[in-house]
Amino acid sequence: MQLDLKTIEALAPDQASLGAAAKLTKRSNWPRLEAHEQLPLIWGECQGSGSNPYRVAFDTSDHGYKCTCPSRKFPCKHILALAWIGATAPDSFARVDQTPDWVNDWLSRRRKPGQLPATAPARAEGKSIDEASRPEETPPVEDAAAAERREAAQRKRSEDTRSAVSAALDELDQWIADQLRLGLAGFVDASSERCRRIAARLVDLKATALAGRIDELPAKLMALRGEERPDAAIRELGKLVLLAKAWRAAPDDAELKRLVSASETRDQILANPDAVQVESDWEVLGEKIETRRDGLVSHATWLLDLKSATPRFAVLLDFFPASAGRRSGAFAPGDRFSARLVFYPSRNPLRALVAERLGDVAPGAWPAFVADAAGDPLAAYAAFQDGAPWLSDCPIILPAGAIALDEKDGAWWQVANDPHGIALPVAGSVSQTLLGLDLAATAALWNGARLELLASQSSIGRLDLS
Amino acid sequence: MNELDQAGLARLRDGWISGGAAFELAPAEWKEVAAASSPDEQERRLLAIAAQALNVALRPAAPKLLKRRLPLPVLALPMLPERLRPLLRAALKYAADARLKTRVAALVGSRGFVLHPMDWMPAATDQESPDIYAPWVDWQAGADSEKKSRNEYLTAETWDDFYPAARRSALVDLRRSAPALARTLIETKGASEPAEVRLALIELMRFGLGADDVPFLKSLSADRSGKVREMASRLLARLGERGNPASGGSEDPTVELAAFVEEGKSGFIRRRSTYAPIKPKSQAQQARRADLFASCYFGDLVAHFGKTEADFIGAWQFGVDDGADLFLVRMVAASGGDAAVASLADLLAAAGGRLAILGLQLAARLDSGRKRVLIRQILHDGQNLAALNMVEGAEAGWLEWGDLAKGKTLSALRSAVSGDNDVGKRNAEQHLETIGFLATAATAEKLIGEVVAAGLPPVSPSLSLLRLNAALTANATK
Repeated sequence: MQLDLKTIEALAPDQASLGAAAKLTKRSNWPRLEAHEQLPLIWGECQGSGSNPYRVAFDTSDHGYKCTCPSRKFPCKHILALAWIGATAPDSFARVDQTPDWVNDWLSRRRKPGQLPATAPARAEGKSIDEASRPEETPPVEDAAAAERREAAQRKRSEDTRSAVSAALDELDQWIADQLRLGLAGFVDASSERCRRIAARLVDLKATALAGRIDELPAKLMALRGEERPDAAIRELGKLVLLAKAWRAAPDDAELKRLVSASETRDQILANPDAVQVESDWEVLGEKIETRRDGLVSHATWLLDLKSATPRFAVLLDFFPASAGRRSGAFAPGDRFSARLVFYPSRNPLRALVAERLGDVAPGAWPAFVADAAGDPLAAYAAFQDGAPWLSDCPIILPAGAIALDEKDGAWWQVANDPHGIALPVAGSVSQTLLGLDLAATAALWNGARLELLASQSSIGRLDLS
Repeated sequence: MNELDQAGLARLRDGWISGGAAFELAPAEWKEVAAASSPDEQERRLLAIAAQALNVALRPAAPKLLKRRLPLPVLALPMLPERLRPLLRAALKYAADARLKTRVAALVGSRGFVLHPMDWMPAATDQESPDIYAPWVDWQAGADSEKKSRNEYLTAETWDDFYPAARRSALVDLRRSAPALARTLIETKGASEPAEVRLALIELMRFGLGADDVPFLKSLSADRSGKVREMASRLLARLGERGNPASGGSEDPTVELAAFVEEGKSGFIRRRSTYAPIKPKSQAQQARRADLFASCYFGDLVAHFGKTEADFIGAWQFGVDDGADLFLVRMVAASGGDAAVASLADLLAAAGGRLAILGLQLAARLDSGRKRVLIRQILHDGQNLAALNMVEGAEAGWLEWGDLAKGKTLSALRSAVSGDNDVGKRNAEQHLETIGFLATAATAEKLIGEVVAAGLPPVSPSLSLLRLNAALTANATK
């Protein structure tokens, strides 16, 4: 490794980045650190503020880098921290002779600079790695009066937010009643404009998460056939009514606060003693990447617990600005790993964070989950709705079945060996090849109207369908 | 949900769609739950109940008729092991077009595996993919009922039990093993097929073509389709049965073509004939000459000069006019006899350089040994390696390290990947893909090491086919 601290100092965009990088140089932040035996390459996975680790790679010869974090600073603190560890503690890196696929992917896309930097670029002014390494000064001990003032201010902020959100929900209620009065036919046609107006109002009144959900409603409606849109509007507006009522009944409920105003930070979740923790083997079922109207991209990675007797799922949810360009995720569909996940407190714990990644797991078939006694593949969905009727997407495991087409070439999942048995419509188009395969088990998201296929097990192995 | 609730929900839905208060339309039980002091609140409560009813109590009604496809046929080879699929996907991703992707399938097939159908599927019209995929081609083309597998023997009785791709594949096998039997089948079954299918069947006569086929091919001179007559006539020409239907008239095209060829003499002691192209005087003449080479038969041309096919080839002055050389080689490929094709291929391979590359025009008619000789020569010369991409029916996985190391190709690749010339690098990367198809696993492994040592990034996508090849060893299933 040809790295020195002066180079890192010069690469840093500002002193703040160096300071942030210094905090990330602790080995515990890096579940994976590897260096290539022959190539001038180091890479690692850094546990950042996202739900899953950021993947960071650094070319020690020309100082090229890649990080999956959404930072707009280049290089980001994760790159600087990786290089810093490389310069000061090279033994922390496991020596390997193979580069992982995501590093390969980056290497194959990157454009190498024409000339290698012979010396560190001369832009280190105003930045000091020594200063960044210095432990932070301990804040002065707060006296009792100051602590009381701070807590009072916090309570006041909290109360202000609560009353603002309450006002937001009043406006939402009125808006929903207006839509019913004006007619859902007109609402469906003008949903984009109407939803945008109320969403903007909800943002002003600090119901940010709810605003984001309403902003996405027109896109959801437009994805459906014309005759299905009114029902979809009834379903979604009805869920908003239920959510508003639930929040009013329990405004301090963590799940409801998350759905209406804002989510907790990663640190808050990790520090929450009520957060469920599950250490198990997980398979990445698939990804759902959506660009939202507010300019954010939501990246959901769905996981299946391979050690649970009944199907248990988790979703790692990250948001980043669409303007940051395409990001590669930390996992690829089909990946298997052992990890401790911490779930956001919820009636149906689904959203989770990777607290600790414990290693990779060999590929194989899914376990034979205990099926619902009545043989209803949507029994899990009914239970999910009983707990949290304001939510839409519910992950389920479908029993043996196949994909069939209706007269309009719409795809349906149909239970095996029973042509008159249960059949569920599939969202979007499906690969023609899938029509000829028998599916032993299928993981999908059901929203009450459509299945979004994630993955299947079949006689020819795992099928990635997301 | 009972019928009353469903009817109530339908009324509510209709009411809300058109707008206005819908409370009175709701089922009695729902009204009881939703009753509130404010009319707006009543509507909202009903909306929440209706939403849950739609979500949980009602399920989308499946259409009465759902069409299932037949199960995708199981192929005769095992599927590529799961652990090799990432390498395969990388190779498929790098392959720029359908033809190159088919080549990846051919390489994998040559090592005893088929691809996962979610990674690659042949198109319904595919005739280039390895025969093993014929059942998938038929499935893609919409095969909608069970038919017999390729394991069944193709006979007049089982003819209709085969879908087109499987039948084509079976006919090719039969032409190679029992050509007379295959001919009889084509003769008896083809007559009732439409012209397009007839043409495809007659085209298969090129496999195992022999003198016994002459009477049948001659009988096709009365076929309703001009394309079938033309195909039969070319096949006859390959068998030495001259007689281009257009020849012999007052404006005989063969005579016109011969006027573009100059007969000469060489040698001081033993004078022998030479044939050299005459340079066309205008663009129009040039175009006419190209048309004549494409439409006339080689046998007619050599007969015009009173020579045998082999003598004419030996007397042709290669290098005088590159365009004419190309036209002549194509003419031999289209209508020359097997012996003429073989002797021309040998001559061109021995000459090397540009002429060896011309020899690739004959690839579809060469046995595997001659194809390999040509490819080895081209690799030895190290020029215009891109031409190797057009070798029709090239075999996968036979090129040994010695074939590469002896010639100029390896050093050319090394210097291209280590140099600064981007065009040279891009070309070298394409050549690596080509060699990735031709090489043995050991050669592929060694070549990766060589070019990486020369400076190619070890993760370059251009190495993907070589990497797949190297991984497809006898231990691949382990």
